[in-house]
Amino acid sequence: MATYVFTAEQLAQIEAIKSRYPSVQSATMPVLWLAQDAFGHVDADVQQLVADTLGLPASHVHGVATFYTQYYKEKKGKHVLDVCTCLSCHISGGYDMLHHLENRLGIKAGETTPDGLFTIQSVECLGACGYAPMMQITNDVFVNELTPEKLDQVIDTLKKGGSPDFEPIGLVNNRETA
Amino acid sequence: MAEIFIDNKRFEYDQPTKVLQFILDQGLDLPHFCYHPALSIPANCRQCYVEAGLPVFDREKNAYELDANGDRVIRWFPKLQTACSLDATDGMVIKTHVTSELVRRGQKDVLEFILINHPLDCPICDQAGECPLQEQTYKYGPEGSRFEHKKVHKPKRIQLGPRVVLDAERCINCTRCVRFTQEISKTHQLTIVQRGDNNYPMTAPGHVFDDPYSMNTVDICPVGALTASDFRFKARVWEMASTPSIDLTNGKGCSVDLWTRDNLVLRITPRFNPAVNGHWMPDSGRAAFATLNHDRVDKPLVRLDGEAIPTSWNNALLTFTERVTAANRIAVVGSPHASTEDNYVFKRFFEAAGKGAAVFVPHVIPGSGDGFLLSDDQAPNATGARLLGLAETQAAALAAEVTAADLVVVLNDDLVGRGVLRAEDLAGKTITFASNHNATTAAADLVVPVTNGAEHVGTYVNVDGRAQRTIPAKETSRTDRRLNLEMSSGRLDTFGTRFDNWVSDLNRIDCVPAWEFLTEASQELGTGLYYESARDVLAEIAARIDAFAGISYERMDDERGIALLATNETVSA
Repeated sequence: MATYVFTAEQLAQIEAIKSRYPSVQSATMPVLWLAQDAFGHVDADVQQLVADTLGLPASHVHGVATFYTQYYKEKKGKHVLDVCTCLSCHISGGYDMLHHLENRLGIKAGETTPDGLFTIQSVECLGACGYAPMMQITNDVFVNELTPEKLDQVIDTLKKGGSPDFEPIGLVNNRETA
Repeated sequence: MAEIFIDNKRFEYDQPTKVLQFILDQGLDLPHFCYHPALSIPANCRQCYVEAGLPVFDREKNAYELDANGDRVIRWFPKLQTACSLDATDGMVIKTHVTSELVRRGQKDVLEFILINHPLDCPICDQAGECPLQEQTYKYGPEGSRFEHKKVHKPKRIQLGPRVVLDAERCINCTRCVRFTQEISKTHQLTIVQRGDNNYPMTAPGHVFDDPYSMNTVDICPVGALTASDFRFKARVWEMASTPSIDLTNGKGCSVDLWTRDNLVLRITPRFNPAVNGHWMPDSGRAAFATLNHDRVDKPLVRLDGEAIPTSWNNALLTFTERVTAANRIAVVGSPHASTEDNYVFKRFFEAAGKGAAVFVPHVIPGSGDGFLLSDDQAPNATGARLLGLAETQAAALAAEVTAADLVVVLNDDLVGRGVLRAEDLAGKTITFASNHNATTAAADLVVPVTNGAEHVGTYVNVDGRAQRTIPAKETSRTDRRLNLEMSSGRLDTFGTRFDNWVSDLNRIDCVPAWEFLTEASQELGTGLYYESARDVLAEIAARIDAFAGISYERMDDERGIALLATNETVSA
């Protein structure tokens, strides 16, 4: 079992977060984010660390962490590809995109590649129905209007250590693709 | 006084109150799950829906606006309100399911939602028979479900802690258990995990639900999601009889119910008593059900050549009187674990025989209390013994007295087991009254089996000076429910026969109350004590001892115990 500790710098950040709210309880979510950024996930040990650091019951932190799917309760790949398979994306081929990724990386949704680089997840609506099918990368960049070619490009970029740019999305752009 | 109209009936109230609590206080019914009077109000089950409205007040005329019929004009709240969180307001008009079709429909639909993922396993569920969900579905629920899809599956048979088992599928997420650990026991051990239709209560990973009050969550769980590990699958609730009694494992003396079947106590649950324990009791008190049934002294035991041999009551009585007569100096050790009646007759017996004054050793473990429902005092009746005039003594003084005496008589107190005396101190010169085998009975020459709190009527005075009494729940070989009117009698006891296949005589212990044995011994010695019943004893105590003046079983029952000391601390419910 790995032991996790916050650095002095992170502890200072946590103090700053705490000072923003009237009660410590409110700091739970931002501190969980901070922990996830630091350790890549918030598994049971990290949750315990957050609870101890904030002086909150471990059960409270656990309840918050399990409520939100964006907190990773186990170790994931370096890049987590959340492919939307909810209604709008499904109609526009969300599952085709998911299966393309699965074939390309040789894993199933919910699994991580052996090299620890990619995790694929099938997720529900991310609120970008206008640009379906789409996916989100590690709770960050949205990649819109997916095609198999675009997915391959994204994978290559990520493998090279880059990250796809935020895509300008607007009416004009949308109309052109339509 | 403020008025409120519920289903066209006028009620008055003076204290601020929530509508649901007010309705329940009137003895009316309104289905609810998440609301508990001692916990905060989250209004999350949505079951206590009512229609609510307020009369329109005309400020200019300073009067309620009236319609053509002369009735008040009511402005109804646009939607159904949860009665649990709705403050009663002067003039408020409430319609419950009794008068409102909309409320009936609302309750039915909420139940249909709650039951979407609830397994239909009532036949194998321990909660069946005392399940609010089952009862309310029966009374207010839909006839079937329109939900034809697969139910969500969740973890089952999770051992949350040493005493509580979770079946997450049965949970309806009322959060009563979570609020209990947050607000009452304050251990914060439970939380609701996951979200939507996947959520259920859980401890944090790696944490065990070992709260000393954990089993209260089993009581307040409105479904069979939380069950007690020691009671799972032991009995159906309708097979048992419940007898009001008190917890005898601690000085606090929580009010409890003893649940019995075929003369076995199967579980102990708290009984609401605002002056002592509110709705709750500690887990340690519930574990006592085992000592009430098992490892009991059954028939008198005499020690012959170092071996304890069962003997007849006649022999026990004669041995007892002979040894008492022969002894020059007797150490008379009363007990904070025995009832007031037993201690009183015990003390009187040796006074009448001219054989010395009774003492007792309090059973206090400093620091073991928690300021809530566990006191440092481990014995239920130290205050009672004190008020009776038994001299309080400590281990060293008692050891000296025991060494000097040529006979030691101990009233149901495991002095060796709790480290007051050593077995060597007692060897060869000890008579003890005992209900369970223990280290003291192992050292005694004569063991007289006596009843415990589940078998006799007895008064116990708790650490706060509150006198409460027990009611016999179990028959002994010498009592019979149908003849002894002090005993409780459940449905199966009343309507069953001796020859029903669930009846056996296996669980009846051959023992008597200590006062009864001592009365007989007094007759034998001619010292003139005679008591017909525990009532007789209590009447004499009430007449002779000022502290107990005016005390009676009826008053203890009606007033949920009687405060005997002027300063009477209570816990808040």
